[in-house]
Amino acid sequence: MTAAALARSFAVGGAARPLASAVLGIAVALGTAALLVLLSGRNPVVAYLALLGGAVGTPDRVAVALNKATPYLLTGAGVALCFRARIVNIGAEGQIALGGLAATWLALRLPQAPAVVLPVLCALAGAGAGAVWGGLAALVRLKRRVHEVLVTLLLNFVGVLIVGEVLHGELGEPGAGFPQSPLLPAAGWLPRLVRGTDLHVGILVAVAAVVACHLVLWRTPFGFRLRVLGASEGAARYAGIGAARATLSVMMLAGALAGVAGAIEVLGVHYRLIEGFSQGFGFAAVSIALIGGLSPLGVLPAGLFFGFLESGALAMQRAVGVPTPLVSVIQGLTMIFVLAAMALSAARARV
Amino acid sequence: MSVETALVELLAAAVRIATPLFFAALGGILSERAGVFAVGLEGMMLAGAFGGVLAGHLAGSAAAGLAASVAAGVLLALLVAVATVRFGADQMVTGLAVNILAVGLTSFLLRGFAARGEAATLRVPVLAAWPVPGLAEVPVLGVVLFRQPPLTYAAVVFGVLIAVFLARTRAGLTLRAVGENPAAAFAVGVEPARVRLAAVLACGALAGLGGAVLSLQQVGTFTDAMTNGRGYIALAAIIVGRWLPGGTLLGCLLFGAADALQLRVQSLRLPVSSYVIQMTPYVVALVVLAGLGRSARLPAALGTPFRRE
Amino acid sequence: MLAMRGIVKSYGAVRANRGIDLDVPAGAIVGLLGENGSGKTTLMNVLYGLVRPDAGSATFRGRPLPLGSPRAALAAGIGMIHQHFMLVPAMSVTENVMLGWRAAGSWLRAAAIAERIVQASRAYGLELDPGAVVGMLPLGLQQRVEILKAVLRGADLLILDEPTSSLSPPEVTALLAVLRRLRDEGRSVIFISHKLGEVLEVCDEVVVLRDGEVAGRRAVAGASREDLARLMVGRDLPPPVERASRAPGAEILVVADLHACDAAGVERLRGVSFSVRAGEIFAIAGVDGNGQAELAEVVGGVAPPTRGSVFVDGAEIVGGVATRLAAGVAHVPADRASVGLVRDMTIADNVVLRDVDRPPFCRRGWLDRDAAREAARRGIEAFDIRAEGVDVPVRTLSGGNQQKVILARELGRGPRVLLAVQPTRGLDPGATRFVIDRVRALRDGGAAILYVSTELEEILGVADRLAVMHAGRLVGVMRPADADLTRLGLMMAGALEEPPDAAALYGVLA
Repeated sequence: MTAAALARSFAVGGAARPLASAVLGIAVALGTAALLVLLSGRNPVVAYLALLGGAVGTPDRVAVALNKATPYLLTGAGVALCFRARIVNIGAEGQIALGGLAATWLALRLPQAPAVVLPVLCALAGAGAGAVWGGLAALVRLKRRVHEVLVTLLLNFVGVLIVGEVLHGELGEPGAGFPQSPLLPAAGWLPRLVRGTDLHVGILVAVAAVVACHLVLWRTPFGFRLRVLGASEGAARYAGIGAARATLSVMMLAGALAGVAGAIEVLGVHYRLIEGFSQGFGFAAVSIALIGGLSPLGVLPAGLFFGFLESGALAMQRAVGVPTPLVSVIQGLTMIFVLAAMALSAARARV
Repeated sequence: MSVETALVELLAAAVRIATPLFFAALGGILSERAGVFAVGLEGMMLAGAFGGVLAGHLAGSAAAGLAASVAAGVLLALLVAVATVRFGADQMVTGLAVNILAVGLTSFLLRGFAARGEAATLRVPVLAAWPVPGLAEVPVLGVVLFRQPPLTYAAVVFGVLIAVFLARTRAGLTLRAVGENPAAAFAVGVEPARVRLAAVLACGALAGLGGAVLSLQQVGTFTDAMTNGRGYIALAAIIVGRWLPGGTLLGCLLFGAADALQLRVQSLRLPVSSYVIQMTPYVVALVVLAGLGRSARLPAALGTPFRRE
Repeated sequence: MLAMRGIVKSYGAVRANRGIDLDVPAGAIVGLLGENGSGKTTLMNVLYGLVRPDAGSATFRGRPLPLGSPRAALAAGIGMIHQHFMLVPAMSVTENVMLGWRAAGSWLRAAAIAERIVQASRAYGLELDPGAVVGMLPLGLQQRVEILKAVLRGADLLILDEPTSSLSPPEVTALLAVLRRLRDEGRSVIFISHKLGEVLEVCDEVVVLRDGEVAGRRAVAGASREDLARLMVGRDLPPPVERASRAPGAEILVVADLHACDAAGVERLRGVSFSVRAGEIFAIAGVDGNGQAELAEVVGGVAPPTRGSVFVDGAEIVGGVATRLAAGVAHVPADRASVGLVRDMTIADNVVLRDVDRPPFCRRGWLDRDAAREAARRGIEAFDIRAEGVDVPVRTLSGGNQQKVILARELGRGPRVLLAVQPTRGLDPGATRFVIDRVRALRDGGAAILYVSTELEEILGVADRLAVMHAGRLVGVMRPADADLTRLGLMMAGALEEPPDAAALYGVLA
């Protein structure tokens, strides 16, 4: 199955099939992971209970999970839209890096700005930087026909290294011993959502973005064009839909969302720019979009699930000693299962 | 250190660094010329690197390490083959999934057996250089080419073998035909699915060896996600080399040189920051790929599943 | 030599072969004649093993032949030259010949094989450079590679599927000579064609297929063109419906000297000019692949012309699909499933497929889905679409109802011009009648209609004026009343050309 068939199999809104295959996939992946835990000489039931407790046991843990889910939702929704137009966009990592960089730069530049305005400005700066990075990838793909997986991946490395470069230069904190920027002015910090926890307003932004992406996909001519493009190239041509313009737009949109995620990571979690803060988000976004059935609303449960899973896994490692990379195992296995299920159902629909 | 010796050192390092890339790229050539995108190279390399160190550590023999590297690569390749060839799943995304899985699995297994889940330290002796008698003494070339560790020579041998296989044997012709037009191959009695399965498994074996080069020949241990994008750079090298072993070798050397330069920038005292230099391999890859652009002709059926009526 | 019995093969609801028997004697060229969709290619794909039949059996040289495996067919001595060649374009002639051939050796003996190719090509008069890259060769030479592939492997029975469709006249002559030579060596040939002239020229006997069944079998000696044409088309045709002749209306659609190439760069339209007047159906007959699809794509704005112009109401239209929609050009494309509709999207989505940017379906940047649903409901009502509501995917509908969705969309706009390409292909008689009635109603309302079909009967029934298209040009224009089957059949087969004059092309036929 090609990415085209992938997009085609979800051109309709019908959510039952992707939901079922995602849930089944997660179940199989959790089962396989339990075997691994067993193999390492630990009781999987105890481990999973520790994980559950770590994910939802206290308000603090829930806050951590929601904070972790925030960038997943933002990037996953954008990548899901890209998938609709047959683009496999793994560029979130670089886009987050540059989004965070832009937000940091602006916040350090405007230390006197009022508290409400500064985060908004920083997020906009992040969105712009991410959109530029995503648009650049789209242009290389469109003009030079290099596959987007390679372009976005290589741009990830470059984006991350740009952050490293500035942290060793003008944005670095002198004498910190670690590549990071000085602490941002408090006016730029994201307000807390629940007093006494780490939960910041980013999750609201993320949920709003997911809903907005849903509306864009299903309620605007642009989203309609993306869906037609992904479902049938021939029909898109017949309907007068320009593939190049749609590709550029959707890549910039996804880049902007990732840029906002980067800004939120900086303004809401770290309060400074830190080297490597964007690591792994490119692949995570693809897997969450996929497990979410390539639909923005599907990204909501998928992103939250992995946010909770990750935060729970940290607690599980502390309590039972089961290492956190188990999350990646679960993620990879679920992806493969969902892919196979999608291919099967697409093959069945063809008959 | 004179500029001259530094340059020779740089070239020798480029050859060393290109070795794992070339192994993986050879595997990728087989897979992609049979029509299956080799995005999973990164994960297969990582699995190979881990398997090699683990087995080498436990068995105390380099041979066991190499065998385990191959086995680990093949295991992941089998997953790719079943998902893409049997089920017809999207090749790009399946490759990405396998890469995520490999990162998780290797990191988990590295920690899974320690009491508090901390990373175990696996150490194996690094494969020593095998200077080729006589040739190693040749000025410049001797240092660059003939004082290399064993797997580097092996990579060259594999490269020649695969070039001959593709160009001169009927099986190689069949493999290429399946990647170009599986329907035409089917019409003369070939089963495209079997050919692709074999090609992807061979890809896993070679990528596993590429991982072994990293862990057994270069570092002597395993660290999380130690492939660090080399599988993708190998993919880029394949495109640069137009899916031919010879050209791909040049592509790998190009990226190897960029990486070697990056590692030596401090000692060479270049007036550029190390981060900018670290970007070199990636920027070189982007620029070269964009420069090739439309002229790169991929195998015509690459990425397309074959289904008979 | 070959006996096939009771071959049945269905694709979904389409019954391509309904129990076909076929016998081929040794040392004979047997023509397999039939219109598009009569089941010729399916039958041969079954014989060669590319397609598994639902029922039926075959014996070859007295032994049962397992159906469903090209390997078995090859081993038994059957070779097939497909209409769309089964070659690897990026490889050389020698590599293509060696592919899958044991005799080429595990270590390829490329030089020896190349030598054999040269020898064989001399022996059969098929000059060929074994080192040439196949994709760079003209189609006639690519076909030679296919023939050599089969002959070198020692095929005793060669199947050629529409082998002349992409050849120039001298290439056709050369091919027919090769076939005679193969027969004289004692091999048999199955020659699939819809071109009467060639079949009569080269074949020893002819089997005519119609609607997936054998319609007749004739020895070529003594068979006439008229007889075969009648067998192929089937029934005697009902007289065309008379309608009150009116004075020709104003010229609405004018096409001037249109040229266009397909995706592969082959010129498929070679200078087509005509006009369609208000209240007129201008129908184009012809065998599939003679440029009709390209004509509709260019007029519909989906593909650009390489030369020539399109005018609507006197104004030249330059640009893509949007310009055509703005000028009131509706388009029912030939490929219903993958072009005209998005099968996985809903009826409501498909009804607005080409109009999402415009009110009432788009308001202030948002899709008005209620408006789309309302339009779909109206379409379902007006076009009698059988569906469980407007939100079901189009793929769940029958072919006829899918076509009605397209009509609902394209006619719902109240077009000035309608391009209808094969609008009744694959539909049952009821749906066919419905579609034609709607097209007629649109015509009676004053629209100009360009109607493309490969079904002569339908053309004669629907056209006010008709043309025959062959090899990218109009080879004859006439009133239906002046048309007879034989004359049309000859024109479609490229055996007769009556260059139309300006009066005929621009719609003032006497």
